Amino acid sequence: MQANEFDGNAAFSGGGFMPSQATQTAPERPFSSSKNSDARSLLPLTVKQLKDLSRGGESDISIEGVDVNNIVLVGRVSKIDNAVSECTFRVDDGTGWVECTKWVHEHVDSVEVDAISVGMYVRVYGQLKSIQSRRTVHTFSIRPVTDYNEITNHFIECIYVNLYNTKLRGGMTTQPRMTNSIGGPQVANSNFGDPGKGYGYQANLTNQYNTDEQIRGISSMVLQYLRRPACLASEMGVCSDVVARELNVSVDKIRQTLEFLASEGLVYTTTDDYYKFTDA
Amino acid sequence: MDISSPAAFVNGGLLRMHVGRKVRTVLQVIRSDIASVMGKSTDGFQVVAKGSPPVPLTSYVEVIGVAENENTIRAELWTNFGDTFDGSNYDQLCRLANGEFKHLFL
Repeated sequence: MQANEFDGNAAFSGGGFMPSQATQTAPERPFSSSKNSDARSLLPLTVKQLKDLSRGGESDISIEGVDVNNIVLVGRVSKIDNAVSECTFRVDDGTGWVECTKWVHEHVDSVEVDAISVGMYVRVYGQLKSIQSRRTVHTFSIRPVTDYNEITNHFIECIYVNLYNTKLRGGMTTQPRMTNSIGGPQVANSNFGDPGKGYGYQANLTNQYNTDEQIRGISSMVLQYLRRPACLASEMGVCSDVVARELNVSVDKIRQTLEFLASEGLVYTTTDDYYKFTDA
Repeated sequence: MDISSPAAFVNGGLLRMHVGRKVRTVLQVIRSDIASVMGKSTDGFQVVAKGSPPVPLTSYVEVIGVAENENTIRAELWTNFGDTFDGSNYDQLCRLANGEFKHLFL
């Protein structure tokens, strides 16, 4: 099957940036003991995720069970403050902005900084620092984005790493809602048990979807239902309870199916538990 | 750090969910004049961006601004995204960013 050939691991972790290489080779290790390697990992994040960290405890900066230390952001420079030995950039990635400081010690640093101007899209590698409850990024490297597909790619990588850390690592989720969806921890665990299979989570998801005729059947029923003019016309979409009642299927199965369809981008949620067909 | 004014990733179909709010989208330029660009969204809708587009424009342009209605954006920032942008990837990102992974963005 074609889906089998997709190796999510190879496709997404190309540069060795996956946050938890250690857990791939020794997945059975308890989480706490893998902290050292996690601390050195590089996480692609959105500013919104950084902000959500700030709301949590101050002492231990972590997200989805992974210590946040080195991060990569992609965004637009909206402000630059040049000082003698440092340069402060405001990087706005559309979810919010964060201040990034680059220390300018050598000629090579000033060359790097001079290449950046306001309005430019940049990729920032740095370390998250907390100074008097203010979060900034100590920048190792700031580079202009030359191919704009990098922007799309960065955010897809943020999504993938979030999914990886919440679902595929199994158990340590901070998003209880997500553990119920198809391809949840069970899939992850079976994957961990067979490292040869790799971490092609998309392949797994697709396989399970294809082999599970029942869910496939429900999916198409749900899609057909949401495509009805009455459902398309409703601004709010349709509540999962209503779908379940109309199709005479258990609410749990419908919720599972809707979450799966949402993850595939075929439907979206308007407010909690209300779904709409995407191509309306 | 501030996240009080996010710009949601949208395609043509998702624009209606964000009327009155800040959005970002990528349009394939169909035609443009001094005060607007008519473009095709990544999911094939016609969207108008009003404001002062950059000169010259590339085939793909990103606009960040406020969604005026379901097919018009009052653009504040314009960025040329070149001639070889992958619209379908962007479209999938818009769907994910407004669906299951909304909490990472808004």
